[in-house]
This record gives sequence, C-alpha cells and structure tokens, in this order.
Amino acid sequence: MPREPFVSLFGRGNGQPGQTHPLPGQTPTSRNGTNRVLYTTPHTHTHIHRSSGVKFISPPLLPPNLAAVAYTTVIAVPQLSCRVVLQYGVRGSRLCHTTRARVSRMKLAHGVTLLPTFMPVATQAAIKGLTPQQVEGLGITLILNNTYHLNLRPGIKVLREVGGAHQLQGWNHNLLTDSGGFQLVSLSKFTKITEEGALFASPFTGEPTMLTPEESISIQHAIGADIIMQLDDVVSSLTVGPRVGEAMRRSVRWLDRCIDFHDKSGRNKAQNLFAIVQGGLDSSLRDECLDEMIKRRKKVAGYAIGGLSGGEEKGIISQCAEKLPADKPRYSMGIGFAEDLLVCVALGVDMADCVFPTRTARFGVALTFKGPLNLKLGKHAKDLNPIDPTCPCPTCSNGVSRAILHHTATHETAAAHAITLHNLTFQARVMGQARDAIMKGTFPTYLRGFFENYFGDAGYPEWCVNALQSVGVDLLEGNPEAKIVKGDGARWEHSRAE
Amino acid sequence: MSSPSLSSSLLSSTFRFEIESITPRLGNLTVYRKSLKKLIQVQTPGLITCTSRGVIPHLSSDHHLNPPIKWIHVPFESFLEHSPPFPTLHPGPYPLHSSLGFRPEQHILSMSLRDPADDRDMPPNGNQFVSALCLRGVRKASPDQWRDYVSSVQPDLVLALSDIPFSSASLSQKRLTKSIERSASWLANILRPLPAPATGPDANLNILVHMAGGIIPAARQAFSQSLLDPLFDKEAEAIKPLTNLDEGVVGYSFDLAPLHKSLSPNLTLPTTSKSGFIPFLDLFSTPPAPSSTAQIISLIRTSLTPLPTTKPRIVHSAGSPHEVLALIRDVGIDLFDAHWAQRAADVGVALDFVFPAPVGLPDPELPRQVGHNLYDKRYSHDFSSFADFHPPPAYTPVPYTRAYVHHLLCTHEMSAHTLLALHNLAVLDMFFVSVRRVLLEEPESFSQHVAHFEQTYDEKLGVLAEARKLWTEVSLARGKGRLAREREKQNQDAQNINGYEYKK
Repeated sequence: MPREPFVSLFGRGNGQPGQTHPLPGQTPTSRNGTNRVLYTTPHTHTHIHRSSGVKFISPPLLPPNLAAVAYTTVIAVPQLSCRVVLQYGVRGSRLCHTTRARVSRMKLAHGVTLLPTFMPVATQAAIKGLTPQQVEGLGITLILNNTYHLNLRPGIKVLREVGGAHQLQGWNHNLLTDSGGFQLVSLSKFTKITEEGALFASPFTGEPTMLTPEESISIQHAIGADIIMQLDDVVSSLTVGPRVGEAMRRSVRWLDRCIDFHDKSGRNKAQNLFAIVQGGLDSSLRDECLDEMIKRRKKVAGYAIGGLSGGEEKGIISQCAEKLPADKPRYSMGIGFAEDLLVCVALGVDMADCVFPTRTARFGVALTFKGPLNLKLGKHAKDLNPIDPTCPCPTCSNGVSRAILHHTATHETAAAHAITLHNLTFQARVMGQARDAIMKGTFPTYLRGFFENYFGDAGYPEWCVNALQSVGVDLLEGNPEAKIVKGDGARWEHSRAE
Repeated sequence: MSSPSLSSSLLSSTFRFEIESITPRLGNLTVYRKSLKKLIQVQTPGLITCTSRGVIPHLSSDHHLNPPIKWIHVPFESFLEHSPPFPTLHPGPYPLHSSLGFRPEQHILSMSLRDPADDRDMPPNGNQFVSALCLRGVRKASPDQWRDYVSSVQPDLVLALSDIPFSSASLSQKRLTKSIERSASWLANILRPLPAPATGPDANLNILVHMAGGIIPAARQAFSQSLLDPLFDKEAEAIKPLTNLDEGVVGYSFDLAPLHKSLSPNLTLPTTSKSGFIPFLDLFSTPPAPSSTAQIISLIRTSLTPLPTTKPRIVHSAGSPHEVLALIRDVGIDLFDAHWAQRAADVGVALDFVFPAPVGLPDPELPRQVGHNLYDKRYSHDFSSFADFHPPPAYTPVPYTRAYVHHLLCTHEMSAHTLLALHNLAVLDMFFVSVRRVLLEEPESFSQHVAHFEQTYDEKLGVLAEARKLWTEVSLARGKGRLAREREKQNQDAQNINGYEYKK
C-alpha cells in the first residue's frame, strides 16, 4: 500500500515558519486569508482560502470533480466578534449512491472542517499529552472540550479573562463543547434532576448547586466554542419505563430554554447551538423527540444523537439520521471504534467523538487497519518494525519501533504521546479514506475492504453486517464463507497465557 | 586558535573535537556521517539531553528536531530486562538510533550502562561485573557483555564500564584501590580492537572514560596516572597499537551524583519503600551546596591535571546553573547534561534565567528564582508567557501562558510537562549560547559575570524544592475522591491561617 501524502507539516509546532498563534493579550485572529492544507486523501487536496464578509464558496475552491455541484450561501466572517453562521451544504455527488453517507464542508468561525469527521476529546483543554500544535500538525480541525471540567478548572473567571478556550489552549481551529449534563450524571453522586435544572453537590464546596439550561449555555458562552450543546436530561441507555419519556420531553423543554437564552445573548452569531435527540432505545419516543426538535430546525445549527452508549443500538442511530434534516450536521455522541464510526457514517452521521483512541493509547494499544495492537504484549518486545509502515503519523514515519514502544508503554509518558499521535492519525485516516471513497462513489467497496482487513479471520460482528445490510451494503459479498460473530465483536489483542 | 584534534572513525562516522581556545575553553564537537554526508555539530560549552528508558521524557519524535536536541545520552541498563536487549537485534545501520527512533543525520548518541544521575544504593560490583538496575531488578553486566552490546548497537560514543561504589558507607582504601584497578582494566577491555567481522576491518569505538577515584584526591590522581602509564606484556599486547589507555580515549566524563552523595552523606535518603527503590524524584531534592561544588571542582582539577587538554570533558548530573558556570570557569568543562532542567519540567517549573544575569534589578527582587513554579496559585490568572526572558520564538513552542500550564498541572494533564520540557531545554540551550558568546567576545569578564549570576539567582533553587513539594501533594491526591481530599486540605489550610491570625 503506497504511503498517503500527509500534507501537514509536523514541524510546525517547533517554531518553524507558518505559525499564527495569538500572543498573549492579542485578540484572537482566524487564519483569515491564509492558505491551509487540510488532511486529505490523495485525490482531494483541498486548499482552503478564506476571506471575511459575505461570500460564496465558489466552485474553483473545490476539487474539480465537485465544482459543478457544490455551492452554499455563506455569511462568514471568521472573527468571533462578527457574524458567523454555520453553513452546510450537501449536494449531488457528495452523497454515497448506495448508503446514506455524505461528504460536506462545515464552516465555522475557526475554519472549515470536512465531514464526516472524528473529533478527538481534549477534556481539560489539552489532548492528553500533546501540544495543540501537534494536534494541528496531524491535520485535525475540530476538537472537543468538556464544559463540566472547564467550569471546575480553570473556571469561568479565567476563561472570561483570557477570552475563551481557544485562547486558553492556543487552538485556532474549531472547537465543540458538550453541555456538562452527561458528566453531572456520570461523575456526581448526588445529582437530582428537577424541571428547573440539575441539582448537584458542588465537587469543591459540597454545596447544592443548580445547573440550569441557561447556566449551561452561559458557561459555554464563556468557553466560546464554535459548537455548543443544549443541556439535556440524560438517562442511561439501560433505563426503561416512564423516566425515559419524561427525560426526552424535558430535554425538548430545556432545548427551548437554551435556544431562548442563546438567541437573547447575542452569541448566536458566533456560536452554534446543537440540539440533542433523546428517547432511549424506544423508537416511538425517539420519533416524538425528532418531530419536536425538527420543528425547531430554524433555531438550531445541528443535531446530536444522545443517550446511546455506543455498541449495538444502530437501529436508533439509523432512525434518527434518516429523519433529521439533510442540511444540518448530525453528531453521534460517544462513538469511537473504527467499525462503529464507519457504520454510523453509512447511516448518515457526520460527526462523532470519543476518548477511546487517546485513552487506549495510554494503555499501550495502537490502532491499525488490521485491528488494535496491544503493544504491552511480550510478542512485540523484539519487533523493530513501526506500528504501521504505511502510516504517515510522526511516530511511524520516524520509524519508532514497536519494541521501544513496548519498552516504554505505561512507564514513560512519551510512549503514550507517541501512540496517541498514531491513534489520532488512524482515526483521521479511517474518516479521510471514507470521505474520499464517498466522493469517488466507492464507499461500499471501501467498507468491504476495511472490514475484511480489520476483522479478517476473527469474524465480522453480526450487528455491523446487519446495520450495513440495512443501507444496502453486503459486507459478505464475494466472501460467502466469512465468519460472523455475535456480540460487539471488538477485536482485541489479548494476552494468551502460554 | 586551533590545537591538535582527535578523530577516530566509527564505521561510517568521524568524531572530532576541536578546541577553539584553551582558557576559557570554547570548542566545537562534530560527528561526520560519511554515508549520509551529514555533519552534526555541537558547540561547547553545550548541553546533552537525557533519556529515560531510551526516550526523552515527555517528548515525541516530532520534537526531536528541536534545536537543543543534538547530543542525547542513553543509559542502557533498562534494556537489560530482556535478553538479548532489543536494540542489539537491529539489523540495519545505526542500530541504536534506529531502534530508539532517533535520527542519525541529526543526533549524536552517547551511551553508558548506568544512568549517571541515579545514585541509589546498589549491590556491590564484582571484579568481573557491574550491577545495573532495571525494572525487573538488578542485572550483572560484565565487561565482555558490554563490549558485545556496544559493538552491536554502535553508539557514537560510549562510556567504558566503571566501578563506582554506590553505598552510603564511607569507603576503605582497599575498596578505592579496587575501584581504580577495575575501572582501568575494564577500560583496557573495551579498548581491545573489535573482532573483524563485527563492524568491519577498522571499526573503532569512540570511548569515553569516567574519571574514577571518588572524593579522595590521591585516588583520582592515581587513576589519571594509570591512564597515562605505558602498558606492558599481555596488557600492552591486548590494546595494540595503543601504548597507553589514554591514547584510546576520546574524552573524560565526570558523574557528579556519586560525588555529591559522598560529600554530603547526611542528605542521603533512607531506602524507604518496600521494594527497596526510592522514587526517582526524591533523589534530587537538594541542589548542590556551593561548598560541595568547590570540593568537586578541586577533585576534577586533580583528575585533569596530568591529562591532555585537547579532549572533551563531560559532566553528568550537575545540579544547578550555578554549578555549571563554576565548572566552566574553573575546570573548563565542555558538556553538561540537562538532567536538572528536564527534572524541573517534571515538577512543573518553567525555567526563567539568563546569562549574563540582568543588571539593575531592585534589591527586594534578589535573589531571583531560576524559574516559576507554575503549580503556584498566583499564576492562575497570569497570561504572560512562561519566562520573562523568553528564548527567541524560533526556539520554543508558541508562547503558551502560565495560566494555561497552571491549569494543566492542576488537572494532571501530561501536556503541561511536554510544554515545560520543550521550554526548559530551550532556556538551557540559550544559556549555553550566551555563555559561549561571553567566552568568545569578552573572556576576561566571564568570572565577573559568573559572580553576578551567583548573586542574582537563588543558588538553593528554592523554586524547585517548592514545586517538588506541590508535585508530591498533587500526585498523592490523585485518583478517585480527589476533589473531596483537596477540599479537606483547603479547609485545613484555612483553619491554619485562621489559627495563626488568632494567635497574632
């Protein structure tokens, strides 16, 4: 397999020319007027040139084969203080002819992100162990910060002083924040949900504190992310009974309060509010929620599909993605395994986030197209090959061997950084290749090839086969004897006691 | 002025050290890679980047291109966990570079068996082995094994095995004599020409020797003398065509950690934990006292006096910029490892000092700290860049703010240490650039500048001690229930303050 061109410069973070980070105290500037090369696959080198003011993304800026079909009306001034509207266009050949997958450009205040994309998670305003320039060097243009954590530390005061999370972490690309609702439920012991908001014990003072939809949006305004999420009433996907319906309906009511607060704040020109579709695993509740939220389509910039803990509930994702308006991005929360990502993309999802690739890296697991490699296993101790010789990440292209990663993983932070760089590149390649295949009209072939490589003899997860079947892709085509396994089918490299 | 230079060929590389001026010493160290047609140059006085388990702590391979990272020192002992050690299995050229992910066209690698900064008590060495430490415990390495490892991984420079007694007990004369004899004989062992098939007909290693003798001047003198004495009979035959050991040595190395340990034995920490290992961080709780630096200078001078002045002099584990300056001024040391500065990044300190030290600072600001303990709450709203004296922009990452790294430290984000490690190496490298500039342009006033530096900056490195304390607290507080524990501590602190005010 030939090495893909990897157009970003890894050396950017080292003080080489081309950096445009703001100095402390400077107002944030966008990359307005600069040529920027995004991570792309071989046929789609996309040079993006931006200027302020009302403009069209005119055909010459797009790859020649798309020039005739893509246009969008844009009111775009990439300054936080000016009007910025999420614009999103899906047209003609950028739709997969078989599945519901689509490729699009999402233009936000801090630049364009090609969709579908995977968003790495920088919980506390840093991708674990990396510098923001390293993340930028990988061609990543959209990351996620967690509102709950940033609100605790460094706190709203610091964020306001510095001018938001972009400035805090020196990140000049797009940023998304969640609403903090999920962490309230997963991290706080005493959360009580009332109609007013979520009541919880402050982790610092122990005092009862109320997180209302308005408060959540206000915090997200201080953080200043390009995409912000509504506060939703989250219940575990295992919950059944009336609580699920109640939570869904409350999420709709809270969405109205979020929209109201957001619109009145004047921040709706710079930050884009996403709604979160709830309703558990009950498809009629989901339908009800979808109907309500689609009614508000003019007031939200995009939709997230929430309340799923990843795994096999692809029926719900399929249902939501099918019904959601085509001109808004669809974001599936908490999805990160490569097979999950690709199935979601085929179902029509545009964005996904997960801590998985960065977290698993810290435990010494490197992701490859032939499945995850557990570098802690003794079998890698003498292997002097890189993780993946075709991978363009700094770790593989510099020839860092599996042996030295085995030697240092979980002992030295440097090993976590090396594998994190690789894993994020892997996720970007999976999505980049998917985009490329969708545009070339070869997405079903790409899916079959990917799954054959990734699951090989281990067997295809049944749910993947079924989910893709539902959008017209037969993973087993030309391979009738392929093994199919039940369960989540995640292909882990376990230690085999010998 | 140019003096006789020394070169030896290592496979396809040529190592060369030229002294541009003798007093004060300014030099230029180069490795020329014939096959790559690439010249790597290190100006001296300069720095050596340290590694831990074969990697530069906190950095990834894309950071290895940063200008300060040129000469990298690799302690080999951690690889003894597996037999054979994996770098010895690399089939291609530059096996050590390739197996650890360093670049032959960019980096000079030196290698020692032990980590020169690790002065923990160890089981005694034997006549035919050195005790080395790896995660799986103590490993014995014999001089013959060392020769094998070295000839198969081919570092640019290698330290001959040396018998450095690591124990708190004071040494008998007999033990010292043995230490000198063993070190000399192990040096002779590695100086034997390598067997022809290993690396080609005229492959030579660039051998550095650790100057033995501990803190006894007579012993140090004896060791230096033993390098110069002509050898006879079998010994002479073995190292032929060399006539004495010194001819085969390209440079002299001094490990300060064991010397400081012997000079201030009361600073030695007890072996606390069950496993017998003291956490590495505790080892550097005290910067070198000026008195022990002065003694070390005199010991180094004793070692160097009889030896030729044309070879590079390397110091490992110097503890402060004050010590570095004194060693440059008094004994002309050429290279220093950056261990202390890299450790400072581990505990959240952003270094901030320049040479020559700024003049005209108001009195209350003196002595200045050599850095900022970014754990300190007072940086939580400080949006200035790490250092008041910031290295040139081409040298360091984007000037991130103190408030950002304060936040990352408080939240235990590893990125804090990555940014600090890059920054500290840059500050230290700039320090050496300035030292060289002063040595070149106004050598007569170097001592004056050193004295001013000593007055300006806190030689006790109080900021490091303070940061280390906070680092330990944060590290103990980590894990589930952390916020609750922190709250408890805050309450306690508040009570203490109240109590104090009440007493007043």
